[in-house]
Amino acid sequence: MNLLNDLANPVRFERYARMIFPAVLGFALLTGAAGLYFALFNSPADYQQGEAVRIMYVHVPAAWMSMFCYSVMAGASAVGFIWKHPLADVAAKETAPLGAGFTILALFTGSLWGKPMWGAWWVWDARLTSVLVLLFLYLGYMALWRAIPDKARAARLAAILAIVGFVNVPVIKFSVEWWNSLHQPASIIRADGPTIDGAMLTPLLLMIAAYMSAYVAMLLPSIRNELTARRLARLQFVDETRAAELVEQ
Amino acid sequence: MTRKQKRTFLLFAVFIAAGLALGLTLTALRTSITYFYTPSELLVLDAPPANTIRLGGLVEDGSLVHGEMSGVDVKNAVVSFTVTDGGATTAVRYAGLLPDLFREGQGVIVQGRLDERGTLIADTVLAKHDENYMPKEVMDALKEQGLWQDGEEVGS
Amino acid sequence: MSALGAIIARDIRLAFRAGGGAAQGVTFFALTGVMFALAVGPDIALISKIAGPVLWTGALLATQISLDQIWRADREDGSLDVLVETSDMLALTALAKAFAHWAATALPLIIATPILGVMLNLPAEAYAPLAISLAIGTPGLSLIGCIAGALVVSLPRAHLLIAIIVSPLYVPILIFGSGAAMSDVGAPQYGANLMLLGATVLFAAILSPLASAAALRSNLD
Repeated sequence: MNLLNDLANPVRFERYARMIFPAVLGFALLTGAAGLYFALFNSPADYQQGEAVRIMYVHVPAAWMSMFCYSVMAGASAVGFIWKHPLADVAAKETAPLGAGFTILALFTGSLWGKPMWGAWWVWDARLTSVLVLLFLYLGYMALWRAIPDKARAARLAAILAIVGFVNVPVIKFSVEWWNSLHQPASIIRADGPTIDGAMLTPLLLMIAAYMSAYVAMLLPSIRNELTARRLARLQFVDETRAAELVEQ
Repeated sequence: MTRKQKRTFLLFAVFIAAGLALGLTLTALRTSITYFYTPSELLVLDAPPANTIRLGGLVEDGSLVHGEMSGVDVKNAVVSFTVTDGGATTAVRYAGLLPDLFREGQGVIVQGRLDERGTLIADTVLAKHDENYMPKEVMDALKEQGLWQDGEEVGS
Repeated sequence: MSALGAIIARDIRLAFRAGGGAAQGVTFFALTGVMFALAVGPDIALISKIAGPVLWTGALLATQISLDQIWRADREDGSLDVLVETSDMLALTALAKAFAHWAATALPLIIATPILGVMLNLPAEAYAPLAISLAIGTPGLSLIGCIAGALVVSLPRAHLLIAIIVSPLYVPILIFGSGAAMSDVGAPQYGANLMLLGATVLFAAILSPLASAAALRSNLD
């Protein structure tokens, strides 16, 4: 909580962000390059799917991030709502477009994977439908933020929406177990251990690390921009009021 | 009622509603709303459904027969095969392009209508793959050692 | 408790008097059915097959267009401030408002369904599943819509925003409701769909009053 309190101060946040940003970006580029190398050149083809299995290395991390970002957004929203932590509000707000981007990427790459393997670009099974709903939840959240001019009020209302929409995340996760779906069940996070060969797990984990650090690397500047924009708006407001006072005098 | 009594009452109501919701969900999931039927499920139905249905299962080994047009007119080649779930089987006829993953022993979801003899006239064939990913050599080795049977790792 | 009864009675009376809100909802519902029938054309077999899902979609849309009014009317005449200030449990007030909205908009739709069913050639055995699934599912539409209405109550115009916010949250109700409406009464999917529909609505009944109350408080301070 001490660190969180520290971070509530924008100046201090800026200092921390500036400090870790190059490291995070470097890590993202490094793991991304290594992951792509393994994924494309140094990992075996699948016994069933052949070379097409390589789509997994961009699809699965994107799908994970789509849920991870929503969880971060809902968690930050709750923190912002309960403790009125301004940085949490901004973090939730700036996570939304990134999460929506990951969701679009997951849907797009999944579609590219589904056509050759399943024989269809899209089916309305539980997993695909619930991820599509997730995308619209992100879009609704962003629309609500944009519609409300008062930032503090927008933060509180959008937080309520994010928390309500969170019910979809467990539905996505378990949709493949609750319903007989076309989409295959989980391969990595499961009670009896991963069902994916070690040689394929390496590039997948590298790509997940790359996506995750890319998310942080994109989030930090967006938060900084938003904080700066707010400070600017405040300064302008002060300027205008002072100008109005001068005119009155 | 005092405010405190009201609160207790409401808390009770919430718990009952939540318990009821959970119970309903669990019961419903036991009957499982299926994205597809299995051949055994089709068998126990009193009347075969008249609408378009989805059928899921494995393509039975040795059941795949390519029609007369096969190889000439790939787009409209007729294939027939049977889908099994280990217990029952359903015959399927399909004219059109098959997905890459389609082969004997593969999980498939077939969409179409049942004709009067219980054959599914399919308009869509989708291949389902499982959550196992491994290189071909590993697969072959597993099979050689008898550690892999019918899409299941033995003793894992 | 009688205060809640008063709120419900007042809202229902207002809905039926002021501008004929309920009649408009039913008209809109009927029009969506007509649009579908005209778009499909003369293929009666096809219309009768999709009649259940079409009526479910129509009921959903007709409910959705009236959501903006749940809290806005109270906001405009100032009674919302009184409600928030005086009610000792705002969540309960929200529950009453959702119920009033259901009684004033969804209930007339359910009553009008048989007529539309005839128009769309709904098969005789499909009337009961459709009516039952609508009766169980539409309260969920009002409950979830209550949250959306509360979120946007301080904005001048919000019809489109409400639609964007509420549609993804309506998805499970539409899937289970329409799924039950399309299955035969004895079939296993019928019971399973209805149970999941009921669970969704119960869950909404717990979540919606709390979320609506929080949204109203955030909008008024």
